[in-house]
Amino acid sequence: MDVGRILRIGCGWAVAYGLLNCLSNVYLLPSAPVISLRPQIALPMVVGIVVHPLAGFLSGFLGNVIGDGLSEFGVWTFWNWHAANGLMGFVPGLIRYRGIVRIATVRDFGILEMAVVLASGVSVTLAVLLDVLFLKVMTFPSSLHAWILPAFLTDAVNGFILVPVLLLVTGRILLTLETRTILLVTTLLVTAVLATAGTIIASVWNDLVSREALVTNFYIAGIVSVGLLVLGFVASLTFVRRITDPLGRLTRAAGDVEQGRYDLDRLAGVSSRQDELGQLSRVFQAMVGKVREREERLQRQVEELQITIDRVRKDQDVSEIVETEYFQRLKEKAREFRRT
Amino acid sequence: MARIVAVHSFRGGTGKSNVTANLAALLAAAGHRVGVVDTDIQSPGIHVLFGFDPQGAPHSLNDFLWGRCDIAQTAYDVTPAIGSPAGEGRLYLIPSSIRSGDIARVIHDGYDIQLLKDGYRQLIGGLPLDFLFIDTHPGLNEETLLSIALADILIILLRPDQQDYQGTAVTVEVSRHLEVPEMYLVINKVPAGFSREALEAKVASTYGCEVVGVLPHADELMALGSAGLFVVRYPGLSVSQELCAIVRRMGG
Repeated sequence: MDVGRILRIGCGWAVAYGLLNCLSNVYLLPSAPVISLRPQIALPMVVGIVVHPLAGFLSGFLGNVIGDGLSEFGVWTFWNWHAANGLMGFVPGLIRYRGIVRIATVRDFGILEMAVVLASGVSVTLAVLLDVLFLKVMTFPSSLHAWILPAFLTDAVNGFILVPVLLLVTGRILLTLETRTILLVTTLLVTAVLATAGTIIASVWNDLVSREALVTNFYIAGIVSVGLLVLGFVASLTFVRRITDPLGRLTRAAGDVEQGRYDLDRLAGVSSRQDELGQLSRVFQAMVGKVREREERLQRQVEELQITIDRVRKDQDVSEIVETEYFQRLKEKAREFRRT
Repeated sequence: MARIVAVHSFRGGTGKSNVTANLAALLAAAGHRVGVVDTDIQSPGIHVLFGFDPQGAPHSLNDFLWGRCDIAQTAYDVTPAIGSPAGEGRLYLIPSSIRSGDIARVIHDGYDIQLLKDGYRQLIGGLPLDFLFIDTHPGLNEETLLSIALADILIILLRPDQQDYQGTAVTVEVSRHLEVPEMYLVINKVPAGFSREALEAKVASTYGCEVVGVLPHADELMALGSAGLFVVRYPGLSVSQELCAIVRRMGG
């Protein structure tokens, strides 16, 4: 662990994060007095993932300090949220301890997104706990709408959408068949959820519903949306794995054949599928069967090519013929015949 | 100068008559004058391949061996079996009798081998011939030894199996004692998938003898059976191509 590097990068991104926080503090969430719409939350998360969990913590923590300091809140007023922001950067960075440095499979991607949502949940919970224990600023249930839900929803959704985008840009997501498919599915899911949220927000500007009614509805919709996002995501993980798993098994089976192992039991489940992958698997198995047959035949032929001659018996047979009087006479005659 | 070609195999069923007839046909088609003597008096059969019916023939090799006729009277022109040959190409058959009485008499009395030798000379000079093929009974007995002793070119047929390998070793060595000027091996009925090169190299090194042909097993030949000459019926088949190469090697 390179402490100097973690400090340098953590502090560097903290400045960027802080400036962005200061900017977004001007544009607050509708009805939330002190929580803003903050796409920049993805920054400490990505720093945590790419560099180190501690670098993520540093950038989140210091960034929030800088942001609050530059705004009207005051540097240490909401210190519990500094800690929460630190956790936002810290928690996603932990995926490296599950062996995920680059996102190459659906499993990796699933863990990444779950870590992002989890980070938001854990962080907000921490902020609330610290408030209840020390600051005692929040009042319940009003703070639920004013602080807790807006913070959790915006951070979870922003992280869910933007962390993969940033990781794509930095080349941390390898574009495999698996990741391409799950990225596509995620995009569709996110688009659907954002369209819903956008419709609700638009209805307020058009004065279709009262502001009070909207506040309640907006957060119900928000909760439902995030729930749908997570559920849809988990469902699509299963769906994508149904496609990519057989491909992985076929690849491993092909590797087995390359190594001279023709036992294709692992393909049994794939071959029984009725779709294109099942067809591919069956054709593959049939092909391997032929290859195996051919190789065994060749092997047999190599064995058959062993020409063994019983020298003793041959010499016996030859001398039995050659030593006869007839043969000796024939030999003389043949010489004579060929001369003339 | 005319050349006597003996085709031999240690065991039966190697396709000896078939290869003999087809080689003779190819040489004749290329414009040579070719004779085929069926010395397999005990079980004659090569005539079928030329579409020749010995029942209607007044004389056979048997009659000559018993002094009943000249050798020239036993030679029948079977050129039509190969269509229209190039130039002077002709194909003659000297059949053995298929009458059971004649066969029994040969088995019982034998025949004068010296006479057979003289007969070959007369055939070559009289017809005249460029090539005289001798189709023999399989195995090594007095007649087959004679045909080997008289041959300018000996072609030994074998199949890729252990018994043929052993018998061929005996034949090759005996033939060396008889000082045959040219001796070639032809491997017949090779199952599909065998490596031609590996088999050829292995056989050649085992016997110290050139392998001039590796003939694959072909279903078409099985279907045709003995009903005709496959080089005429299936000239494009790889077996036919192989035989053409053998003929070129023999100076045809």
